[in-house]
Amino acid sequence: MRSLFRTFSTPALVALFLIAPAVTVSAQDPRIQLSHLDHLATRASQTVDVSVDERLIQLAAKVFNDKDEDEAQIKKLVSGLKGIYVKSFEFDNENEYSAADLDTIKSQLREPAWNRLVNVTSKREGNVEVYVSLVGGTVNGLTVLSAEPKELTVVNIVGPVDLEKLAKLEGSLGIPDLGIKSSKKPKDEQ
Amino acid sequence: MNEDYLWDKSGEPDPEIQELEEILGSLRYQPKRLDLLDNSQQTQRRSYVPLLAIAATLVIAALAGFFWLSYSHNQRQILTTTTTVAVAPTPAIPEVKKTNEVVKSTDTTPPQVTVAVNRHRRTLTKAAAPSKEAVLAKEQLMTALRLASEKLNLAQRKTQNPSVNQIRNQHKLG
Repeated sequence: MRSLFRTFSTPALVALFLIAPAVTVSAQDPRIQLSHLDHLATRASQTVDVSVDERLIQLAAKVFNDKDEDEAQIKKLVSGLKGIYVKSFEFDNENEYSAADLDTIKSQLREPAWNRLVNVTSKREGNVEVYVSLVGGTVNGLTVLSAEPKELTVVNIVGPVDLEKLAKLEGSLGIPDLGIKSSKKPKDEQ
Repeated sequence: MNEDYLWDKSGEPDPEIQELEEILGSLRYQPKRLDLLDNSQQTQRRSYVPLLAIAATLVIAALAGFFWLSYSHNQRQILTTTTTVAVAPTPAIPEVKKTNEVVKSTDTTPPQVTVAVNRHRRTLTKAAAPSKEAVLAKEQLMTALRLASEKLNLAQRKTQNPSVNQIRNQHKLG
């Protein structure tokens, strides 16, 4: 038994040293794969597919006008980011995407790498889930999964992001405020 | 003395005059055939020079005009795009993949963008010319941020004000 242990202990240790950094790196990388959803584009009436890596973010940051307060704010917000990836599908009918499609995303958003911050469930309005990746107490990544009856949106932001500032962006600098008022409830719910 | 010799060489010749005649005789007109071809060739050669100069000037002017026009056109395009983003950076989704596009009114690029900028050539030359890729990246970035912000706010609103159904369901579950 001891000889067996000695025989396998050295390769096991070597394998551990090789695998451990890879696992650590993958755990720290808050980028998720969205390509599993590509097949939905054929059914969608409108598809938004945005993939902006660190190089493009830096390139875009040069275009922002520092003298403009809003643009300076956005530039500051995106300055540390390593990537923003979005896939959004709008459908004409309901039930165009399946639970399996959602699972391909959710399966990547497991602990300890990801922590679910918000989970709003509604049969009529759909579900919204917000996940954050924390490293050393700071947000290192953000994923928003919005699954509405006729719309499926996944936003994956890689890098340190200020959630409060990001939420405030709506309604400024050409980012339209959708005017969704919480006090206004649908008729069928009243 | 008969001076007819001076008139028509008919009288008695004067030796001094004869001597002068011999000296100056070498300068006498000697008829020879007129070679018009040589003269015309020389004339033609001479006439090419100004024509060539004019042609070269025209070619240089045309080239300069072409380069100037293309340069100003590029500048106009770049600045127009920049102005679009600066004045009304649409949250639009234009450069992104779209299938069976159903464009909403908020997603269309406003038509005011056009070209009034071209007249302000000083502004054009002073403005930094961002690359097309940078402008495109900015548009994509804005689209992504818009969606992220929108969904975050949606989640926040739903969290703060859960719908009646959720409350009912929680009640049933509780």
